[in-house]
Amino acid sequence: MTDEELITYLERDQLVADKERPVPRAPLSRSATLGLWALRVFVIVVSAMVIYTFATQL
Amino acid sequence: MKPPADAGGATLALPGLLTPEDAARSLDRSRVHHARAGGRRWYLLWLLVGPGILAMLGENDGPSMISYATTGATYGLGFFLPFIVVTFAMAIVCQEMCMRVGAVTHRGYGQLVLQRYGMVWGWFAAIDLLFTNLVTLIAEFVAIRVGLAFFHLGAGVAAALGVVLVLFTLSGGRYWRWERIALGLAIFNGLFLAAAIMAKPGWGSVGQSMVTFSPFPGGSFNTLLLLLASTIGATVTPWMVFFQQSASADKGLTPRDLLHGRIDTIIGGALAAVFGCGALIAGAALLSHGGANIQGLAGAGFPGALRAVAGPGVATIFALGLVEAGAVAVLTISASTGYAAAEAIGVRSSLNNSPRHAALFYSATTAVALLAAGIILVPGAPLLSIALNANVLATVLLPVTLVFMIMLANDRRLMGRLRNTRAMNRTAIAIVVFVSVCGAAYGIDSFLRTTHLI
Repeated sequence: MTDEELITYLERDQLVADKERPVPRAPLSRSATLGLWALRVFVIVVSAMVIYTFATQL
Repeated sequence: MKPPADAGGATLALPGLLTPEDAARSLDRSRVHHARAGGRRWYLLWLLVGPGILAMLGENDGPSMISYATTGATYGLGFFLPFIVVTFAMAIVCQEMCMRVGAVTHRGYGQLVLQRYGMVWGWFAAIDLLFTNLVTLIAEFVAIRVGLAFFHLGAGVAAALGVVLVLFTLSGGRYWRWERIALGLAIFNGLFLAAAIMAKPGWGSVGQSMVTFSPFPGGSFNTLLLLLASTIGATVTPWMVFFQQSASADKGLTPRDLLHGRIDTIIGGALAAVFGCGALIAGAALLSHGGANIQGLAGAGFPGALRAVAGPGVATIFALGLVEAGAVAVLTISASTGYAAAEAIGVRSSLNNSPRHAALFYSATTAVALLAAGIILVPGAPLLSIALNANVLATVLLPVTLVFMIMLANDRRLMGRLRNTRAMNRTAIAIVVFVSVCGAAYGIDSFLRTTHLI
């Protein structure tokens, strides 16, 4: 198959050239940003607890 | 061959822009187009399944199967048997979102988080994943070692087997080839079901447990939390999210393929639940034979213990199952690492590229497998503790991954009319809350006990 034939089987935004174009940044509200940071801190704290527990078992 | 008139929207693109990755993907898509146009339903399904089954059966990995068998050997049939089914139902909800976002946007999870929500969140996601993937991969190699120990083969063989498999599957430079080899191996996850049947369980008790969720396990609160967290960690994990979205995009799924993507995910979830229950039922054969004291990740672990109780046939099949479970997970988890690393850096991440065109993707995929294989060869490395805690750590880190997944699946600009419905959001949020509470409860309770605060 030629390139011209092959290309018709792909959607336009499936092409590598299109996928390399970044999608625009999403606006995050202040509360969403705060919520994400709260979740991130929570996960880091709990992960640290799990890692500490693991380390003491060694 | 005559090109289709309605295959897609790329007809306006310049032919000079067709890269080798595009060419490989279009060849796959041409087969999908002709199968659909010719009304060949089963062939179409065969072409479109893959990422869902691999994510689900990849998560029925060595440590997960040992964890299920340990639960069966310690508590017998009971609450955790139907709980495995519930957790895979949760996994199906999460993985359907990944598949849908990948098919609609044609982009990986890491790439979208990075571009949509910024560098900080994208890098956090990638670092979380790289860390948990390395820990989990070490556990996979340990599981392969346990399976091979039954056949009197050592850690060196386990390490070599995993690395050679990764290199062999990557050598083709085609997503399709990689996926089919991994699928061919993954189907042998059914060995755990065969082991369960051969162990001759009381099927009446199995049915009763499934319906009544009982008996509920006794023991300490901390042990129960560990079992809950590790069972959840054995079914829904961050790497699955990265893997299925990136693989769906790499395979070339489009919004027209969503039905088949859902079927793929449901088949994968159903098979994984059945095979996971098989591991628990096989392990339950050891309940009245000191099963609670078996160290599943040491020596020949469960296969060795099963030989005396259920016979060499069951033991051999269980050992082969562990080798398979570890090997498939080594493939899928190392690939998800490659996708995440390349997407975080912003370079090409596709199995349809040659190593020359996607050097970082291939390097990360291979390097993480090599590193994990190397660690299991280090004398005195705390492999048992690593393997035991891998699932719990994955559960603790999962909520952030799932929250971003829900945000992407609700993104009107990316998803348009294919974004989450209200019912989907309710279910997904309930899952995130449940997973977060279980993971956090275990982490906090263990920490307080370790520090003697309770």
